[in-house]
Amino acid sequence: MENLAVAVQTSDVSLWGLFWQAGFIVKLVMIGLLGASIWTWAIIIDKVLGYGRAKRAFDRFEQIFWSGQSLEELYRNLGDKRTTGMGSIFIAAMREWKKSFEKGARSPIALQMRIDKAMDVALSRESDILAARLGFLATIGSAGPFIGLFGTVIGIMTSFMGIAGSKSTSLAVVAPGIAEALLATAIGLVAAIPAVIAYNKLSSDAGKLTARMEGFADEFSAILSRQIDEKLAPRA
Amino acid sequence: MRASVTSSAIIHAVLLGWGLLTFSSPTPMDLANSESLPIEIVSDTSQMVQGDKKAPKSEKPAPKPTEKPQTKPDAVNIGDAETDVESKPIPATKPKIVEAAEAPKQSEIPVTKPDPKPEIQPETKPVPTPATEIAPEAKPKQEVKPDPIMTAINNDSKPAPTPDAPKVEPTPQAEKPAEEAFKLPQNVAKPEDKPKPAPAQTATTPERKESKETPKPTKTAPTPSKEKNGIAEEAQALLNREKASGGGQKRSTDQTSLGAKTTTGAGKLSQSEMDALRGQISKFYNPPVGIEDIANPIVTIVMKLNQSGMIVGDPVIEASAGGSGVGRVLTEAARRAILRAQPFNLPADKYDGSDGWNEVRMNFDPRDL
Repeated sequence: MENLAVAVQTSDVSLWGLFWQAGFIVKLVMIGLLGASIWTWAIIIDKVLGYGRAKRAFDRFEQIFWSGQSLEELYRNLGDKRTTGMGSIFIAAMREWKKSFEKGARSPIALQMRIDKAMDVALSRESDILAARLGFLATIGSAGPFIGLFGTVIGIMTSFMGIAGSKSTSLAVVAPGIAEALLATAIGLVAAIPAVIAYNKLSSDAGKLTARMEGFADEFSAILSRQIDEKLAPRA
Repeated sequence: MRASVTSSAIIHAVLLGWGLLTFSSPTPMDLANSESLPIEIVSDTSQMVQGDKKAPKSEKPAPKPTEKPQTKPDAVNIGDAETDVESKPIPATKPKIVEAAEAPKQSEIPVTKPDPKPEIQPETKPVPTPATEIAPEAKPKQEVKPDPIMTAINNDSKPAPTPDAPKVEPTPQAEKPAEEAFKLPQNVAKPEDKPKPAPAQTATTPERKESKETPKPTKTAPTPSKEKNGIAEEAQALLNREKASGGGQKRSTDQTSLGAKTTTGAGKLSQSEMDALRGQISKFYNPPVGIEDIANPIVTIVMKLNQSGMIVGDPVIEASAGGSGVGRVLTEAARRAILRAQPFNLPADKYDGSDGWNEVRMNFDPRDL
C-alpha cells in the first residue's frame, strides 16, 4: 500500500491510482457503487438460475399433475418434501381440502372459498419469492448514475478547489482529478446498466412465472370445485 | 443466494483485476511531432506602427534613419532611392548597364551604386530632362508634412530653391531636425535644384521624359532579336534585369523606434474614438423637423483638420440633401454642427497617414437621430 501511495505522487493514472487519489466522499461513492454492482450481479445470477429452476420445476410438476395420478397420491408424495411454486400452491389447497373433510365440512361454497383463499395466499407468497430483490435492481438502475454523478461532481469540485489553491491552470494539474472524478460516474454506469437490463428481463420473467402459477391455481380450483360437487352433492 | 453473491464478487474481482492491468498505463498522447517555434514578438499584429523590431519604444513612430534624409513627398517605401520603388537595395559589386525592356534612366544608374557619391548627382543636373523628371515629385512634397499650412509651404518652396546653391550636400539636412514645417520645404529643395523648374514646367515634363525614354528600348530590344528568335527571347526581353535600387524613397531622420515593417491599422481611429467624434458632432446637429418627405436626406461632409483638432478651410460637402428647401436646410444644419463642434479632441498619434484623422468624412442622417 505504501508503494502505491508513493506512486500517486507522480500522478498515477491507473485505475487503482485514480481510486486512491480520490477524496473521501468520492472513494465512498466508488466503494458503494462497487458493492451495489456486486450485489446487483449476485441478484442477477441468483434470479436467472432461480427462474430457470422454477421453470423446470413447473414443467415437471405439471407433467406429473396431468399424468392422471390421483391427487391424494400426489399430495402424499409431495407432502414431506420442500416445495416451491406450483407445488406449494397444490399443497396449500390440498391441505385445506383435507382439513375441511377431516373436520366434516358441509358447505361446498365455504369450502371452495377457503381453498381459493389458501391458494391465493400460497400464490402471493410464491410470486413474492420470485420477485424478491428485483426492486433493488430497479433502484440501482435508476439511482446508480446519479450516485456516480454525485461522486464526479464532488471530485471535480475538489480538483477545481485544488486549482484555486495551487494557482496553476495547467491541464496536467487538473486532468488526474477530473479523470478520478469521472471514474465515479463510470462505476455508476457500470453498476446501473446491467441492473436496468436485468430488471426489465427478470421482472418480465417473474411476471410470466406468476401468470403460469395463477393459471395453475385457477385450473386446480376448478378441479377441486368439481370434486367438491361430486363429494358433497349427494348429501346436500 | 450465497453462491450467487460469491460468484458475483469473483466476477467483479476478475474484471477489476483485468481493468487494473489494462488501464494501468494509458498511452500518453504523442506530443513528439510538435516542434516548438520561437516567438520573437508577442503582440497585437493587427496594429503596428512603422519602425524597427529591435529598436526601443519611442513617442514618435519612425523607421531607421535613411542615408539621404531629404523628405520626399508621397513616398511609402523606406530607402535612399530617387524614385519610390518597392524593391530592396542589393549592394552591387560592379555597376553594369542593365539590359532590360525598360531602359535605365541615366539618373538612376548612379543611385544603384551602394555608396551614393555626391559627384554623380551634379552630373544629372546639367541635363535638363532629369530635372523635369523629378519635377512631379517635388509637387507632392508638401504632403509629407501636410498638416500645418499647405499654402504656406507652396509659397515657401517657390522662393527657396532660387537662392540656394544647387550643390548642397545632403548631410547637413540629416542632422537638422525636420520637425518645423516651415523649414522643411527648404531642406527638401536644397540638395538639387530639382524643384526649381518644377512649378514652371510641370505640364511639359511627362512628354519630354517619354521622348527620351522611347529611343532606348528600341536600341536594346532589336539586339537580342537579331541573334535569336522565338518566345524564349521575348521572355528574356520581358525579364526585368534592372538592379534593385536603394529601396524606397521615403526619407527618415528620426531615431528608429519599435515597430513593424509597415504601419498596419495603428493609425486608424478606434471604434470608440469614432463614436466619441460622432457624439460630439451630433450634439450640435439639429436637423429640422418634418424631413420625412425627402428622398435622400443624408449629407456627407469631408473636413480637413489640423493637429489641434480645428477645421482647416471650409468643410467640403460631398453629398448634399438637395439644393433647395429642406434639403439645403439639412445640409446647412450638418455644416453648422461640424463647425460648432470643433475643436475635436482626438489622439495625436493617429493624426498622420491615410487612415488618420487629418481628413474626416462624416455622414449625417437625420433619420438616425
